[in-house]
Amino acid sequence: MPFSEFLNSRRQDCKDLVAELSKSYSYVSILGSDVRSTAVRANRSTSAIGEGSMSECGFVITLHNGRSFFEYSLDDVQGDKKALAETILSALKVDASLEDRSIEVAKIRDEAMVKSFARDCDFDRYTDEDLLDFAKKYKDEILAADEKMLNATVAILPFTVSKLFVTKNRELDQFYSWVNILAMAVYRDGKIVSAREGTYSNLMSEAMEQFPAKIPLLVEKAKKLATAKPIVPGVYDVITDPSISGLIAHEAFGHGVEMDQFVKDRALAKQYVGDYVASPLCNMKDGAASALSTASYFFDDHGVLAHDTQIIKDGILVSGISDLVSASELGTEPTGNGRRQSYKRKAYSRMTNTFFEAGNDKLEDMIASIKHGYMLFETNNGMEDPKNWQIQCTAEYGIEIVDGKLTDNYVSPVVMSGSVPELLKSISMVSDEFKVIGSGSCGKGYKEWVRVSDGGPALKVKVKLA
Amino acid sequence: MTERILNILKTTPGVSDYRLNTVVTKSYELFFVHKKLETVRATDTASRNVTVYVKHGDFMGDYTFPVYVSQTDTEIADKVADAVKKAQLIDNPYYDLPAEGTLSAAADSNLESMPAEELGAKIADAAFAASCYANGSINALEVFLYRDEVSVINSRGTEKSEVRLHAMIEAIPTWNNGDESVEIYEDHRFTEFDAAAITEEIDRKMQEVRDRCFAKAPNEKLTCPVVLNAPELAYLAMDLAGELNYASVYNKTNAFAKGDSLQKNPTGDLLNITLRGRMKGSVRSALFDADGTAMTDTTVIEKGSAVGYYGASRFAQYLQLPPTGNLPCAEVNVGTLTAEELKAQPYFECISMSGLQLDIYNDYIGGEVRLAYYVDGDNKTPVTGISISGKLSDCLSEIRLSSTETVYGGYKGPDKALFTKIEIV
Repeated sequence: MPFSEFLNSRRQDCKDLVAELSKSYSYVSILGSDVRSTAVRANRSTSAIGEGSMSECGFVITLHNGRSFFEYSLDDVQGDKKALAETILSALKVDASLEDRSIEVAKIRDEAMVKSFARDCDFDRYTDEDLLDFAKKYKDEILAADEKMLNATVAILPFTVSKLFVTKNRELDQFYSWVNILAMAVYRDGKIVSAREGTYSNLMSEAMEQFPAKIPLLVEKAKKLATAKPIVPGVYDVITDPSISGLIAHEAFGHGVEMDQFVKDRALAKQYVGDYVASPLCNMKDGAASALSTASYFFDDHGVLAHDTQIIKDGILVSGISDLVSASELGTEPTGNGRRQSYKRKAYSRMTNTFFEAGNDKLEDMIASIKHGYMLFETNNGMEDPKNWQIQCTAEYGIEIVDGKLTDNYVSPVVMSGSVPELLKSISMVSDEFKVIGSGSCGKGYKEWVRVSDGGPALKVKVKLA
Repeated sequence: MTERILNILKTTPGVSDYRLNTVVTKSYELFFVHKKLETVRATDTASRNVTVYVKHGDFMGDYTFPVYVSQTDTEIADKVADAVKKAQLIDNPYYDLPAEGTLSAAADSNLESMPAEELGAKIADAAFAASCYANGSINALEVFLYRDEVSVINSRGTEKSEVRLHAMIEAIPTWNNGDESVEIYEDHRFTEFDAAAITEEIDRKMQEVRDRCFAKAPNEKLTCPVVLNAPELAYLAMDLAGELNYASVYNKTNAFAKGDSLQKNPTGDLLNITLRGRMKGSVRSALFDADGTAMTDTTVIEKGSAVGYYGASRFAQYLQLPPTGNLPCAEVNVGTLTAEELKAQPYFECISMSGLQLDIYNDYIGGEVRLAYYVDGDNKTPVTGISISGKLSDCLSEIRLSSTETVYGGYKGPDKALFTKIEIV
């Protein structure tokens, strides 16, 4: 599939508008976004083909003169550039009472680069009819698997991203894709439960090929969850699956090293760079270039090239992740983590693909080392608290471990909470298996949703469960 | 743009019905780091979504796609023709689009009483007015002013529009005590500018963050009733009501149904929840939903039992029930718990949670508590580092609702609720 024709048709408009606005500001950038997303769904009673939630098409202009940053979002950049520049500058007026309260930072460097980036995408080999047939087929298979299956939903959620970034000296464009295929089963055996499975890839063919193997796992999981009981609250030895390890990486430390939080004195991590913050077994990374997953872009929404950032090395915090604005305020180099929910929203320092790196332990040895505890599976949700280093992560379910063996006793849901340093320093074993799960979304606070992946190996920790 | 789209929809073969949803948004936004202005943003954008409906046999298929201002008539016509083909693949039971007539409503708000840059500065000043403590400050403040012109037009003569003005502050009150520094997240949404109310709200949060700074984990397990406040009660009410949405009922994903009791063997106050379209001061208020269906206030839970369903036109038709619109606000009747009665016993009041965790299927309520007060008579001790956990069904059966009322987001109802069967861990 090609880069957006629409954005290509607006390249010269962007250059002309940059030139016009450069009469007023020393740094002017324009980011054009054309994101196409589709949602194909089938359940027991209905089906739908529609636009996905990520679709957007428009531009955001960033202006800077060494003091505050100014941004203007609009749908198109065609037309009289002088008039458009006047409209933009007028809309960004600041009340006189705020004029002497601007930040002051070094002017943004605008190093020359002209480059196009693209990743393989096979989405155009599949029609909507193909996708709907696929969804219906496996929806029917799930429903037929057990008479207690109340409903089944299969959703195929592909998106393609085209972005164009233009300044006086830079012209970058990128094209990449991602698809999640998700299945949900609603099952009643005494109580009603829901279970989820999914596959994901930058290639539709790969996600489709892996999907059928998930169906028996989904059905079996639904049956087991119907037997799940609430956990007895307490502190336990716990093994986390890659999804929960990723959730810990994301919530416990990922948000805490987003460096716009450093600027606002909102992250305790700022004081701990160079210090032990976790077990020496712990290594953690983030970066759009760190793994191939849902957040693997080539340049960020400020035009900074993707990085592979080591955050924790052998238990020591070595680096944070930053966007252009926070890096300029801190006097550091941006790490390519400036991301927007859409062209209508501000860019912040955001995670991309965040994960713990693999260790040397065998999962079976980790389970065997626990007298009584739980293995936790599948992210439900999590909430960060980077200032106070508290954490709340909810797993879909857990399986009890007794005398070093997984039992048939399921608990659900399971909320894990406590102090981040205590949790990370309690890591005593790290498995040699490793997985990054590319189906996540992440908010900052309670808004600004972007696609993220996270993951890692299995970890053995001690933590409070409720 | 609207006329261009409608003309194409009216003349494309195969289109049985259509709907055009438009939101034109203008915003003005200020972002402060401490008290310094870091970023100023303005937006002028439109989102237009076209839904094409195709009746084929006994079925109704539909396909929705966005139209961008940059698209030519030819591009839009191609997308409509493509939508007809895609809608023909969808075999949903037939339903009619609502014929709801016309409406044009102005905003019920004072947010346009002055220029946006002036109002933005006044809101920021009102928030920072609370930041006047030696050890307390607002480390970050974001101010958003929105003007949304929301409209829906369909092929059955529905043509409705409504201007919705709303504002939001995201503030991070912070308290420092020596090397220790703690914060609380504050998300305050409103439709009326009231500088004193903003200062009062942020100041209340400053008091809470000060208390969080001195809060400690309890030395021993606390065994006393738990009090939840409006944010958590709003979430609980909307989650319970959501199970009674027509779409959930039709798709058989609802955990309970009309006639089911949510409060078996009740020992507390009985739950009464009415869903509403508009609520004064609520940023969620709306006169009509995405189909243009007028909102019809509906009682969904009465005396502890599910008594009604609600929802949009399509699933209403499937269930042969009247469409109420997708009602965005919930009103919960106040209960009998007075301040004096509450004070008569020690209790644990959750002030700031990471987020209430509710799982109706698994009968769970709980979450991490970032700040709570252990209240014993006139003594109020700040507590942190704990979680709460309980069986939702047990909690509903013994819930005590306060006799005093508040408005929070899309919620109007008791400002507190008392639970005796939630465990503090």
